[in-house]
Amino acid sequence: MTLQPRRHWRREEYLPYLLLAPALILLAGMVYPFALGLYYSFTSYWLQYPNRFRFVWFDNYLGLLEEPLFARALGFTLGFTLVAVVLQVGLGLAVALFLHARIPGRAVLRALMLLPLMMPPVITALMWKIMMASTNAGILNYILSFFGVDPVNWFGSMEGAIVSVLIIDTWGNLPFVSLILLGALQALPAEPYEAARVDGAGTVAMLRYVTLPLLSPFIVLAVMFRTMDSLRIFDVIYATTLGGPNDATTNLQIMAYQYSFQWYQMGKGMAQAIVLLLIVVMVSWLLMRLWNRAAESTS
Amino acid sequence: MTTQTLPYTTPQAVPYQRYVPKLAVALGAALLLAWTVFPFLWILLTSLKSSADIISVPPKFVFTPTFDNYAALVMGEQRGQYSSTRPDFPLFFLNSMIISLGAVALSVLAGIPAAYALARFTFPFKDALGFVLMSFRFVPFIAFVIPLYLLYQRFGLYNTHTGLILAYQLITLPFTIWMLRSFFQEVPIEIQEAAKIDGCSWLGVLMRVILPLSLPGIAVTVILGFMFSWNAFNYPLMLAGRQTFPVTVGAIQFISYEQVLWGQMAAATIVAAVPQLLLSLMVQKYIVRGLTMGAVK
Repeated sequence: MTLQPRRHWRREEYLPYLLLAPALILLAGMVYPFALGLYYSFTSYWLQYPNRFRFVWFDNYLGLLEEPLFARALGFTLGFTLVAVVLQVGLGLAVALFLHARIPGRAVLRALMLLPLMMPPVITALMWKIMMASTNAGILNYILSFFGVDPVNWFGSMEGAIVSVLIIDTWGNLPFVSLILLGALQALPAEPYEAARVDGAGTVAMLRYVTLPLLSPFIVLAVMFRTMDSLRIFDVIYATTLGGPNDATTNLQIMAYQYSFQWYQMGKGMAQAIVLLLIVVMVSWLLMRLWNRAAESTS
Repeated sequence: MTTQTLPYTTPQAVPYQRYVPKLAVALGAALLLAWTVFPFLWILLTSLKSSADIISVPPKFVFTPTFDNYAALVMGEQRGQYSSTRPDFPLFFLNSMIISLGAVALSVLAGIPAAYALARFTFPFKDALGFVLMSFRFVPFIAFVIPLYLLYQRFGLYNTHTGLILAYQLITLPFTIWMLRSFFQEVPIEIQEAAKIDGCSWLGVLMRVILPLSLPGIAVTVILGFMFSWNAFNYPLMLAGRQTFPVTVGAIQFISYEQVLWGQMAAATIVAAVPQLLLSLMVQKYIVRGLTMGAVK
């Protein structure tokens, strides 16, 4: 028996950190650039004018308040997210309830719905770009003409561009909501339905007082993921409208991209990126709380 | 009365479907099918059209198919009339393969021990670490890509496969760790305890118990990680050059200032989509789990 003069790290104590080390080193390699970027957001870094580099404190952030495009981009980011999430979760719930009733060919429909979900978003955007050609050769305008709709200028008009991005994003992500909710529906316990039936509840009452409350944690989860992704939507907009026309579809991510990779104002672009990051963090914190509450109330 | 004596078997027997007229159900199913599948069919048709057929008014459903667009894709930059500006699609496809496979391999190598630690050990800051990993799923890419672009330019990683594989770790590594963790946790703890009693060290438990038993889960994680890497667009858009573009960035090269090569773009989207379509059928049960990083099983 030897006395140990100082406390030794036992293997059980450091082993988890050793196991995590490779992953943490890789991620540190990515967190370091972020820290550097955070620093740049307080500087006047302009790639073409390296001599003007200096520390400007909060100038980039305060400057955003006087930038008209920022207010529009912020508005579009939040407005698009709100509309997209309501639309996609609403329709997704409808599709899930529809498929949950014994629809013929449900298994096939369900498998097919995975395909849009796993397509690269930019490829989805290009597919729709082909279909949304504003000339009379565009198949979408051709189909709409049977319903008496005049040819739509999809990407050329401000309203058209916003609607186009919304449609494309919805096509790719509606299955995500539907599949989460369909999976949840199929795993719901049977007892509440039995009880409701004994109480003489009708179809609508059962949906309102049994299905929706039981489903609420999953609805919140779908809202959470869709909100996070809609706040950051980039691929679809880049491939179709590039933020135009007249900045109608410029969200914060597109704006930060334009500042940093078209005008090379890295400091300003980075400040916009940080603002978006803060919005994402705040919204996700709110939604996490909502999720915890929903999960508690049903369990 | 018979229904009440039987135990309630499936929750699918929700009564509302009884009241929905059959015609409306069929119409709804047809609408859903058309909305999901028609874009694929139309792009497939477009990719088989000659350039004259593509711009015909009204759009043609019946035409003489041609494989010219695919041939032009395969020929790449060497031939064809706009040889200098034409995207080199076979190279982009190869790049996608190299980068995606590299990114997944690196993530799995670093992710297995990390997931093992998170699944089977308790240590300080464990929950915080898990949360940090999860939060990478929600980060706006632009906040990372601006400094990465500047650093890559300086250290020669710009426009290299290595640089892209490292940047893709932002996508694949947190995902891999969370997915593997959820699969490792499903291995019964009793088997691990039994192995320990038989003299297995932590390494033995990992190699002889956890890994063999979660092999299907690892396969699913690899396939999904590959698919997410294949879908990546924004990191390579900024960090890759013409020699390292993956198919996602390559496909938008068919839009130039002079013209849009619609037929070839359609062919390129089909080629870029094929691996995704095949793989998604293989792992269909796990896609929702993958997209929510294990939150929904």
